[in-house]
Amino acid sequence: MNIPIRTIGIATTVFWTILILFSVSVAYSVKDLQFGFGEPQIGMSLDNKLVFSLPINVTNKSYYGIGVFNVTSIVLDEGGSIVTQGSSVMPLIEKNRAVTFFHNLTLDIGNLLQRNQSYLFNDTQLSVVECVSMKLAEIIPVQASGNFSIPWGAPLHNFTLEQPRFPAFNLTHIQVEVPLTFENHASFGFSGDVRIRMYNNAGVLAGSGDTAISVPQNSHYKGSVEFWVMASAISLSGRLEIELQTPFFSYGPQVIVYG
Amino acid sequence: MNLRKIGVRALKAAAKGILVYILYFVLSLFLAPFMEMVPTLQQSIEAFVTLYLILMVIGDFLADTIYHYFFGAGKSLFVIFYLILSLKSGVVSTAFGSINLLVDLRLFLVIAMLLSLLGLARSVFQAINFMNEKASITVSL
Repeated sequence: MNIPIRTIGIATTVFWTILILFSVSVAYSVKDLQFGFGEPQIGMSLDNKLVFSLPINVTNKSYYGIGVFNVTSIVLDEGGSIVTQGSSVMPLIEKNRAVTFFHNLTLDIGNLLQRNQSYLFNDTQLSVVECVSMKLAEIIPVQASGNFSIPWGAPLHNFTLEQPRFPAFNLTHIQVEVPLTFENHASFGFSGDVRIRMYNNAGVLAGSGDTAISVPQNSHYKGSVEFWVMASAISLSGRLEIELQTPFFSYGPQVIVYG
Repeated sequence: MNLRKIGVRALKAAAKGILVYILYFVLSLFLAPFMEMVPTLQQSIEAFVTLYLILMVIGDFLADTIYHYFFGAGKSLFVIFYLILSLKSGVVSTAFGSINLLVDLRLFLVIAMLLSLLGLARSVFQAINFMNEKASITVSL
């Protein structure tokens, strides 16, 4: 009976030694893992959605490979509804390798504005739930997660349509100028068309005009839409209908009474 | 049992205890960066090593008695229950400010428990063997 007992003793000692050395070396080599984040890039997808790309650098100088490196982001609005979510996975990061990959998050602004148009005019905060998981030494799952807020800048902050002016006229037509101002607080620039229709007090379309706008991010826009209307069709009061079309979102028609 | 024999046993047990503590000390140096991140881990490991060393030293001091194997089995059971309790069934989580860290050590726990069960079985076999040999000596006398 001594030999089997001794064999069990040797086997357990060997396996304990392997287990302890492996665990200690995995824990020790965690310090040789380096994570870095590059400058986020903002682009547009083929279906006109906003794409946030975050470059993630992982330098694995540890003794073991890293399996299933996963980054998941969930963006929530003030009510806790999911605005967008994205996940990026690197199946394997071998030891002594540095890897850079992009974590993409696609935001359908049109869809977001359909749910709540205040995102167009009001700055607010969006919550982000970030989760990074990986398998240390390809077998020990580790997960880090956290919540933080990101500011949402309204693309049409302080949107103001002033009373129409009539700078020029001739015998048959009157020129109408509608000044338009807003601030683009969004993290993206956009270009598009602003279209205004002018209705007289009888509800008859007096005239319409449009103008192309191009607004870089974090900039103030001040411009106007000019058009000619027939003098006989115009009245002292009426309404203006404004529409805004951009690749990211559409807005309108917003009705503004003049006169 | 003479005093010299007891002295040798005590010396052996103390030497083994010191050797294991030195081993723990060396390994803890490697774990230092990790322990700085999770201070409770250090306390947990220190408590475990202290209790394990006490059981080991007492067990070795009682070598050539049936109590040696009792302490051997106790040591294995202690490892099993301590790991289950301290590792919270294998999923350990800790918070650093607003970031939650979760480590899934279930595989480690399963392997450690299997090895401890093997150690427990070994102590039981050793105890049976010890009693068997003792009975044989008594019969032959």
